[in-house]
Amino acid sequence: MDKYLEMIRVRFLMMLAYRTNYYTGIFIYGINIGAYYFLWTAIYGGKEQIQGLSVIQMTTYVAISWMARAFYFNNLDREMAMEIMEGKVAVELIRPYNYLGMKTMQGLGEGIFRLFFFSAPGLVIVYFIFPIRFTWDLSVWGLFAVSILLSFFINTQLNLLTGLTTFFLYNNTGLIRAKRVVIDLFSGLLLPISFFPGWAQEIMKYLPFQGISYIPSMIFTKGFSHQQAIEALGQQLLWVIILVIPIQLLWHAAKKQLVIQGG
Amino acid sequence: MFYVSMFFQYLSQYLKTRLQYRADLFVEFFSDLLSQAINLVFILVVFGHTNLLHGWNRDEIIFIYGFFLVPYAVFSAFFNIWDFNERYIVKGELDRILTRPIHSLFQIILERLELESLFGAITGLAVMFYAGSRLGIELHWYDPFLFIVFVIGGALVYGGVFIMLACISFWADARTSLMPMMYNISNYGRYPVNIYNKIIRFVLTWILPFAFVGVYPAAFFLGKNEWYWYSFITPVIGILFFVFSVLLWNQGVKKYRGAGN
Amino acid sequence: MNNAIEVQKLRKEFKAYSSRSGLTGAFRDLFTRNYQIATAVNDISFTVKKGEMVGYIGENGAGKSTTIKMLTGILTPTSGQISVNGMNPHKEREKFVQTIGVVFGQRSQLWWDIAVQESFRLLKKVYKVSDQQYDDHMNHVIRTLDIEPLLDKPVRKLSLGQRMRCELAAALIHNPPLLFLDEPTIGLDVLVKLKIREFLKEINEKYNTTILLTTHDLTDIEALCERVIMLDEGNVIYDGALKNLKETLGEGKELQFQFLEKVDLAAVKHVTDGMPVKWELDERDLIFTANIEDSDELISRVITAVAAVFKIKDMKINETSTEEIIRNIYEKGAVDVG
Repeated sequence: MDKYLEMIRVRFLMMLAYRTNYYTGIFIYGINIGAYYFLWTAIYGGKEQIQGLSVIQMTTYVAISWMARAFYFNNLDREMAMEIMEGKVAVELIRPYNYLGMKTMQGLGEGIFRLFFFSAPGLVIVYFIFPIRFTWDLSVWGLFAVSILLSFFINTQLNLLTGLTTFFLYNNTGLIRAKRVVIDLFSGLLLPISFFPGWAQEIMKYLPFQGISYIPSMIFTKGFSHQQAIEALGQQLLWVIILVIPIQLLWHAAKKQLVIQGG
Repeated sequence: MFYVSMFFQYLSQYLKTRLQYRADLFVEFFSDLLSQAINLVFILVVFGHTNLLHGWNRDEIIFIYGFFLVPYAVFSAFFNIWDFNERYIVKGELDRILTRPIHSLFQIILERLELESLFGAITGLAVMFYAGSRLGIELHWYDPFLFIVFVIGGALVYGGVFIMLACISFWADARTSLMPMMYNISNYGRYPVNIYNKIIRFVLTWILPFAFVGVYPAAFFLGKNEWYWYSFITPVIGILFFVFSVLLWNQGVKKYRGAGN
Repeated sequence: MNNAIEVQKLRKEFKAYSSRSGLTGAFRDLFTRNYQIATAVNDISFTVKKGEMVGYIGENGAGKSTTIKMLTGILTPTSGQISVNGMNPHKEREKFVQTIGVVFGQRSQLWWDIAVQESFRLLKKVYKVSDQQYDDHMNHVIRTLDIEPLLDKPVRKLSLGQRMRCELAAALIHNPPLLFLDEPTIGLDVLVKLKIREFLKEINEKYNTTILLTTHDLTDIEALCERVIMLDEGNVIYDGALKNLKETLGEGKELQFQFLEKVDLAAVKHVTDGMPVKWELDERDLIFTANIEDSDELISRVITAVAAVFKIKDMKINETSTEEIIRNIYEKGAVDVG
């Protein structure tokens, strides 16, 4: 366990070391939230409510989804693709740890960094600029915390899956890009799932994506009742467990491939 | 012209490599199509809840998106420099580039050609024709020419911004996540800029001028007179940003520290 | 103009950031950074004549690669003058690199995914080499390096030795008058090394190609270079003939003994007490080496003394090796020869 904790810490320090990234990141997130705020006020165009969400709730939803994204988001798929193509994975395999576990911990280190140095100050700034309403109900904050942790795992698992495809494809940058777009839309980052037509919502119930952004953001904006929130958390957890299966299968196949090709 | 002939030399190598990996070509093509479809879905879902976005209707927004896809496809085909920092700086590939008698940026562009992205232009044209026919847009004899000029202008804007981002690597310790984040921002140029407040509009027009890749030039074909002035300066902005980015690059190369020290 | 390379007071400094330790330190780094200037190359001057083969040696971090990168136009010097083939490498880069060939042993110059001959064809166009020039010159190169059978294979499928030979051929496509080789034999087996050395000698003779070579393997230098430039911490500490270096500093002899019985070093030392002898023991092969001055009388005395006490299985008298000399120089830090 120690070595995984160490990996989190090292990643955390690494993030601090790249300060250009840090400053531009804040700038870019600011523009993102701003742009979506205006896009949504334009969409509301004076309407009181759309799909049970008021403009203020919607703004809060946008702000909180982007801030949560800073936590669950990582580039593990791209990193893995690099490592696999350069043959570094073969080296990782002989190290005394689980490669995928290590990658997850790296992602977590990155996430925790962004949560404290990025999301937290960012949220305070956003709070003063845009009309956002935060709840002071501690139970909501607690549920939200559990929920974004689960989002992190679902998103990371999907990244690991995409990363593993590098073993079988020559060039998967297209796939990685497509996955990013799919997640941004179907996770509810760009618009709440409840805005989709009924049939689409029905399909998405059977997909893991809404566990990434929609569920935590709805919990935070109190778009869910307490009961719904608990159920949603269960749903997230279920996905975390289910996704282990394809990852293990692919990883197993990948290791075989590695032996044959010699990395 | 030496540089034109070099372009075709690299192009033929590129084709040979790509044809070896046909399955990947297919995956690439399919995932591009998927991204494009998803962006359309977003627009459709949004307009399921509203009819007008500050005076722009659904088909106009779709038209802008269709237009955006064309310069974006051109950009992706020729300026595939997302991983410039890892590939060329960290791994020191730039050393090799710098020992060859061709301009370094041009060599990198040639090495990283990704012409399959040009398929996106076809999708874009299809989307434009669909939206355009629903809007009853008339085609004038000069439209195709202006279209080409605007597309080149837009692609140059895009290229200029991303080259400048790549240049950061010469001076600072910038890492991977910068360019993908910028991708999000580039998307906002696809919506009418008048929905944004002054600051964001200013940024999208003059700082990261992505509005010139989408809404400004498209406004011309949609007959939105009030934006014509912006439409017409698209190529100017494109050339300015691109030239500036190349100058910045030339300065940056002097600062290159080499790898492995 | 007889000089291929002229370097005067060449200097390169790097800004190195040091990070503070711990989390709070890292957080402070976010706002202010500590940095110091590290001098990689410290005001060095030298010239290389046309047609010379020069070995450029030094320990890791001595500034070898940095110099080579400045000479090839990859890095901009902090100060000083460089003139290579009569040009300033960084200022006129594109024109300049047309006149040099570069091989980086640890980095491929060829395109990974395409066949070797496709890389050659592309490079031929890049360097604007005509078909006739190419045929005249490259057919010979390909034959000498024996890479004909590799031409239709993609680079990623080649072994290191095969790849290096192709890299060398690729660097010579435009038949440059000046060739930079950075660790060209690193990791190669003896046969490939010999082949590469032979080839380099041949092109040097045939085209009067100037060659500047960095290597860790001193046998490369011994086989190829009459002159060495030695670098330590960014300074030139020796510049001159390899022969001089050996004559002046390598005046000693090496006596190697192997014994029939088990003997310990202290006992051996004891026998030659009072004589100017430095003993060393190779633990693995149990070879005892005596480093002594080159004097016939002393040599006989040592041998007699040793043979009187121990049973000798094998014995050799050697000149001090270049490696030994160089190790001595680095230990002392400077050379007075030259």
